[in-house]
Amino acid sequence: MIGPEDVGGVHVKYLHHCRRQLWLYARGVRPEHLSTTVQMGEAVHETSYTRSSPVDLGAAKLDHLDGAAWVHEVKSSSKPGRADEAQAMHYCYRLHGVGVAAQGAILHYPKTRRTKRLPYTPQAAEQAEADIAAVLEVVSAPVSPPLLPRPSCRGCSYLDYCWNE
Amino acid sequence: MPTATRTYWLTTPCRIRRKDQSLRIERPDGSPVHIPITDVRDIVACEPIDINTAVISLLNQHRVNVHFLSHYGDYAGSLLTSDTSTSGQTVIAQARLAGDPAASLDIARAIVASTAANVRRVVDRKLLTRPMTILESSIAGASSREELMGAEGTFRRSAWAVLDTRLPDWLRLDGRSRRPPLNAGNAFISYVNGITYARLLSAIRLTPLHSGVAFLHSSMERQRHSLVLDLAEVFKPLFAERLLLRLAGRGQLKPAHFDVDVNQAMLSEPGRKLVVQTVRDELAVTIQHRALGRNVAYDELLYLEALQLTRTCLEGTPYKPFRIWW
Repeated sequence: MIGPEDVGGVHVKYLHHCRRQLWLYARGVRPEHLSTTVQMGEAVHETSYTRSSPVDLGAAKLDHLDGAAWVHEVKSSSKPGRADEAQAMHYCYRLHGVGVAAQGAILHYPKTRRTKRLPYTPQAAEQAEADIAAVLEVVSAPVSPPLLPRPSCRGCSYLDYCWNE
Repeated sequence: MPTATRTYWLTTPCRIRRKDQSLRIERPDGSPVHIPITDVRDIVACEPIDINTAVISLLNQHRVNVHFLSHYGDYAGSLLTSDTSTSGQTVIAQARLAGDPAASLDIARAIVASTAANVRRVVDRKLLTRPMTILESSIAGASSREELMGAEGTFRRSAWAVLDTRLPDWLRLDGRSRRPPLNAGNAFISYVNGITYARLLSAIRLTPLHSGVAFLHSSMERQRHSLVLDLAEVFKPLFAERLLLRLAGRGQLKPAHFDVDVNQAMLSEPGRKLVVQTVRDELAVTIQHRALGRNVAYDELLYLEALQLTRTCLEGTPYKPFRIWW
């Protein structure tokens, strides 16, 4: 199974989104690239924000790191969520791990033209560390986590897997 | 299968070249067709095609499989992209399940029962009532997969005989024969089964399952994708028998659609075109899915079936194979 250094932004995002999704993701169930929504998102990603410079941290890959060491993440949803924040803080944590003093993260929501600024604080660092432990705990569980209530599965690319019978 | 991209069916001999990020399909007559690679889910080649390394690397990058049907219409092989979806964790779970005699026999039983139910639904409910009850009792009593396959064979024979009563003389099967099919009816069934097999292989390759580890057929033998054989069973009646009856009933199939020799038969070129077109359109037909609550194409049913088996392997949920519910 994966170790602490293999935990990436997607793992953290899924942890806050749905533990079951994380458990399945770690077992190779990856229907994301089959979804029309995801393909659309990828196409948009490839053709927009061309001046941004993605940073590859191995397990994690972030959209853009600006000159003042702020992490920029572009989100295609219109509703800011807990998962987005946790993912951004995870990137800051990883950057600190390789010696880049990231100041925090700026989440971009182009759909609603909002941005959200999250400074990287000691509490955030603690939370990021706890998230990694939680990811490992979920992933190594022998039994899959339960389904979320059906309405919250709307739009999830794992819906076909979970609710098909 | 998911709808972001689509399947391309090649029904004339052609050469595929690469032009940047597009496939350029050159037919002997007519101007070349360009297809952006992002639009392609997979390709089914019903006629000989030429292909080169540049194309293969582009196909591989975008995880596009190519399936080849031979001259006689049976499945000839596939050009598969590297195994990027299979995951160790899942394959180990799958192998554990297949290695457990009781668990794998349960799955095999379910597959045989559902296949028979689908055959009966498509061919004739009334005349197959008795063979069905016999099959049910032998399924319950079977203690090995060989016994199961034998019981299924018996049921199938009655079903072929009943099917014959509803076909015009020249299309009758007179028992199932393959490699080569002996008559027109068999040629049709073989061809459609070959397509079903290819479609299922594509579907399974999208899930983390291994296409060689099976439950009803023996795993990894004769270089066949045994799991595909397993899952194809339940879908064959939906396409092969059903379309044969429909095309025969409408008088759409003509003797000219087959090249019949003394000891073998195959689809002629116009016949092949008709069949491929029919199957392609049939795969696009949608039905309201009971559990998912949305419209699902027949083609996607194959993928959902593979997903369901993934779930059985990973989480131990009981496997309920596809049954025609409409």
